[in-house]
This record gives sequence, C-alpha cells and structure tokens, in this order.
Amino acid sequence: MQLVELNFQTWLRWALWLVVGFAVVFPGIVAYMVWLERKVAARFQDRIGPNRVGPLGLLQPIADAIKLITKENIVPRSADRVVHLLAPILVLTSAFLVMAVVPFGVGLVPVDLPSGLVYLIAVSSMSPLGIFLAGWSSRNKYSLLGAMRAVAQLVSYEVPQILATIPVVLWAGSLSLVTIFDRQLEFGWYVFSPPGLLAFATFLIAGVAEVNRTPFDLPEAESEIIAGYHTEYTGMRFGLFFLAEYLSVFGISCVTTVLFLGGGTPIPFLEFPVDLLGGSTASLALVNLILLAVFLLKVLFFIFVMFWIRATLPRMRVDRLMNFAWKYLVPLSILNVFFAGIWYEMVIRPGGLTFANWLRGTLVTGVLVVAAVYLTFLLNRKLVESKPIDADWPSVAPATESAR
Amino acid sequence: MASILFLVIAAIGLATALGTVLSRNLVRAGLYLVAFFFAIACLFVLLEAEFLAAIQVLVYIGAVAILLMFGIMLTRDTLGDDTTAIPVGWMIPGLFGGLCVFTVLAVGINNSIAPSGWTPWSGTTSRPSIIKQESDPEPAWVAERREAVNDMGRVIGVELMTRYVVAFELAGLLLTAALVGAIALAHRADSAPKPPRSVEQAAGSGPGADPPSEAGEPVASSLSP
Repeated sequence: MQLVELNFQTWLRWALWLVVGFAVVFPGIVAYMVWLERKVAARFQDRIGPNRVGPLGLLQPIADAIKLITKENIVPRSADRVVHLLAPILVLTSAFLVMAVVPFGVGLVPVDLPSGLVYLIAVSSMSPLGIFLAGWSSRNKYSLLGAMRAVAQLVSYEVPQILATIPVVLWAGSLSLVTIFDRQLEFGWYVFSPPGLLAFATFLIAGVAEVNRTPFDLPEAESEIIAGYHTEYTGMRFGLFFLAEYLSVFGISCVTTVLFLGGGTPIPFLEFPVDLLGGSTASLALVNLILLAVFLLKVLFFIFVMFWIRATLPRMRVDRLMNFAWKYLVPLSILNVFFAGIWYEMVIRPGGLTFANWLRGTLVTGVLVVAAVYLTFLLNRKLVESKPIDADWPSVAPATESAR
Repeated sequence: MASILFLVIAAIGLATALGTVLSRNLVRAGLYLVAFFFAIACLFVLLEAEFLAAIQVLVYIGAVAILLMFGIMLTRDTLGDDTTAIPVGWMIPGLFGGLCVFTVLAVGINNSIAPSGWTPWSGTTSRPSIIKQESDPEPAWVAERREAVNDMGRVIGVELMTRYVVAFELAGLLLTAALVGAIALAHRADSAPKPPRSVEQAAGSGPGADPPSEAGEPVASSLSP
C-alpha cells in the first residue's frame, strides 16, 4: 500500500496517466482490437477481413473513426435529450475508470487504492445505469427491451463475478490490486489451485457476460431487437458505446490477468527477480518492460479467447442465461469460498509455498471442487427433468436441456 | 482548498436532492438521486474514506438506483411519462413530517452518547496528515487513525463483527424479510390465471425470479399484431 502526498510530482504523474493513457493509448488499443477482431472473425469464417485501407487493412480503424466522427449526430425528436446525450458518456466513463487501478508492472499503476478491488467493482457497476438510461431515453421499444435485458443480465452476472474475487482477496489478505499482484510474485499464480481455477472460470464467464459479448449479447442482439439499447445512436455517440464495449473487454482481461494469472510474471511458481540489476533505475525499467510485455501478451490471449468464443458460440436464450447465472454460477462460487478457505488453511497459512503443501491442498480441494461442479450440474439436470417449473414454461425436451 | 471543495460538493448534493424532490418525471428524479448518491460518495472521499465511497457507489448507484429504475419501469408507464403530482392537501403534513424527521436526526446526532468504554461516533477531531512523520513522536490515536484510513476494509469488517454485530444481523434479518415478502408478492401475482402465451414471451418466466421477460411483456405484446 502506498500513500501519496499531493505534491507537484503526483499531479504530474496523474496528468500523464490521464492524457497519455486515457486519451491516446487506450483508444488506440481499442481501435486495433476492433481490427484484430475483424481479422480473427474473418479467419474463422474463411474470409480475409479488412484489407483495403493500408497494408493488411491496418489503417481501417482510423478510417472507421473518421467516418464515425464526421457522421451526423441524430437525437430522436421524442427522446429525452439530456439523458440521451449523457448515457454514452456514463458508460464510457465507467469503462475508462476501471483501468485506473490496474497494476501493469512494478510501480506502474495510475492510482494504488487500498481498496482497489471494491473501487473496481463499484465503477464497473455504473455501466448498467448508463445502458439503462440509453435504452430508456431513446423512446424506442427495441431500445427499452435491450436496456431491460442488459440490466437484468448485468445485475445477475455481477453476483458470481464478485463472489469469484473473494478467494483472491482471502489469499492475498488485501483489497489492493497491487498487493494482490505482489503476493502472486511471491506465491505463484492463483489460478494454479483448484478453487482458484474454479474462481477463474467463473470470473471469466461472468466477465464475458458483463461486457455483453456473445454468447451473452442479448442486450444488443441484432437479429432480435436490432441493436438493443444503442439502436437510436448515430455517429460518434454510437462510437462511444463501441469504445466502451471494447475498452471493457480490455479491462476485464487486465483484471483477470492481475487477479488470477499473476499480472506480468512470466513463469508461475517462480519468484520474479524484481531488482534484477540491483535496484537501479535501468533495472526497474527493464523489469517493467518484461512485465508489461508479458502482461500484454496474457491480455491479448484473453482478448483472443473472447473473439474465439464470439466466432464459435451462438447466442444464449434468455431463460438459460438467467438459469446459468443463478443456478450454476452463484452456488458454485459460494461453495468455492469455502474451498478457498480450506486452501488458505492448508497451503497459504503454513507460510511459504512448498511442493508438498501444494500437492496436499490440490488433492483435497481438487476432489471437493470436482464434486461441487458435478453435483451442481447433476442437481440442475434432475431439477429440469423432474417437473416443469411453471405451467407455461416452454416445452423443451429434457434431453436438450441436459445436453449443456 | 478542502473547504471550497466541500462547499462545491455540498451545493451539488443539495441541488440534486432538490431536483429529486421537485422533478416531475420519475426517471429524471431517479437520475438526480444518482447524482446525489455520487455527491455523498465524494464527501466520503473528502473524509479520506475511499472504501466507503466505493461501497456507496456500488450499493446505491450500482444496485439501489438500478432497482429503482427497474421498479419504475415495471410498475408505471414504461417510458416514464407518468408525471408525479403531490396532492395539495398532503403538502403541509408532508412538510411537517419531513421537518420532524430532520429535527430528530439533527438533535439525535448532535447529542449522541457513547456506550461506556467507546468513543462517541459523532465526535469531531482535527485531522493530522496520514503520511507518517518520522521526526516527531505522535500520539497513539494518530497511528490508529492512519491504520483505519489505510486498511479501511479490514477495520470496518472487524467493527461490523464486534461492536455493531447486532445492528448488522438485524439489518440482514430485515433484508431477508423484505426478500421473502417480495417473493411472496411476486408469487401471488404470478399464480393468477393468465391467457396462454407464445413460447417466445413465456421464455424465462420463472416464479417471479426473472424480471426481463416480465418487463418486456407489455412492450412485446403491444408490438405483436
């Protein structure tokens, strides 16, 4: 934990982060993520993808940005004007602010809050409000439907997502992302433990749902409700939603990397030599360069996984979406808190990560985790097969329901 | 600097609170309420309690305001055109009631008595810098306070489990009761005989546990020819 004094240097650092990071780097990352997604999706569909503007279509995002900025901004006549203009800004702010506590390397963090994780959750919980206001203020039935779907989905998946971070907080003993990162420098990545793996999977699934991407893109399902909450948005206001979506994909990948994959540490279970050349500025820069490169590689991997999922899976049905959150993810992540407690007692509290400890802990909690996952799925199948929950529940054959 | 900041934030908070009360459009009133919650969070930050600020945003903006909006959508006209008007006869009693609550709160907070052995929670103390000064020795309470500021999550957790455990459990009980009540209400409404619906509309209508289809219904049914 690091206390900052509000002197000129601090202000300068914050201003630099704000200007360089939030105005140049992150929009640039978003632009090339869009390019990457189009390329990846094209490969999956046996196409070439953007290839006209610049070599390999590399200038395509810039062309798109210019197009979006120069397009006319239309506010529907019956729309609530102020709220309509405010909503995309709210969504984008929420996506931007998430990045403020992510430690990209040693000392390479915009703000180190003692309760960074709570801040992160709080800030990301503001985006449903923006999405809801966007849908409501558009005066469009499709927008409203999309907004309602979005709020229901985001609120539901927030629960398993937050519950999945509890093991990490328990093991690190702190809410600060920097401390969590430091602890993983000492103890190896948290994903290499059965409860950690389960929490990681839950967090990633819930995270994909939180950023409204396929298979959880019901709020903007273009084949059902046109574009959901941003149907009535044109030009750069639509661009802001677009920016926010990709930025939150980047953000959720960063957070997953920090929480479960040890930030930028290249090798699990190995103490990373933070002072490589004896604590000089050059060594710190070198270490940070390595950390940042590995960090971005991991983030890129998660981004690719999300594109991969999007190119592969169809959209979920609304009832299955809710069932999956409340009947599978929430019970599993609550049980996982207990497993994380067992892991803490067996491995982390004895102090120091030894192989014997790790093996014993993995065996005990591994059996528990596998049993919990199996039981959850079994019980849910039995529940579906036993009787229809409601009289006018759509008659789905039990076989298809249990095929998940 | 801090006092100017406080004045600005307090003014914004008051203005948005007035906006909440005076706004005719329910969703707009909700939006003002969100801004008010945000001003409160800013006040927490001014008090060096950024954990509380984050919790404030998480609980009040992330959960309460969203549920409020959802409630408005579910119970009223979906586009929130329905303006709220206070009957004139209720204005004076309402004002009187509000003043009474304000008086009770103000007097109560100003004259709060601590249980023996505890410091009163409404006391005002000076705020030394939380940066540790190496040179001069500091009293114990400064170190304690720095600890509380730096590790607020832990301090609040310990307090909730020891000093305020009864209040904490009571609040939990109250919320559980509210939850059970809400489920009971939703369940009774759901068990009423309904006309048969198509598969798309019926999808996801569990026993009151699934808001989106409930919310979507009036719009969806008005869309279908």
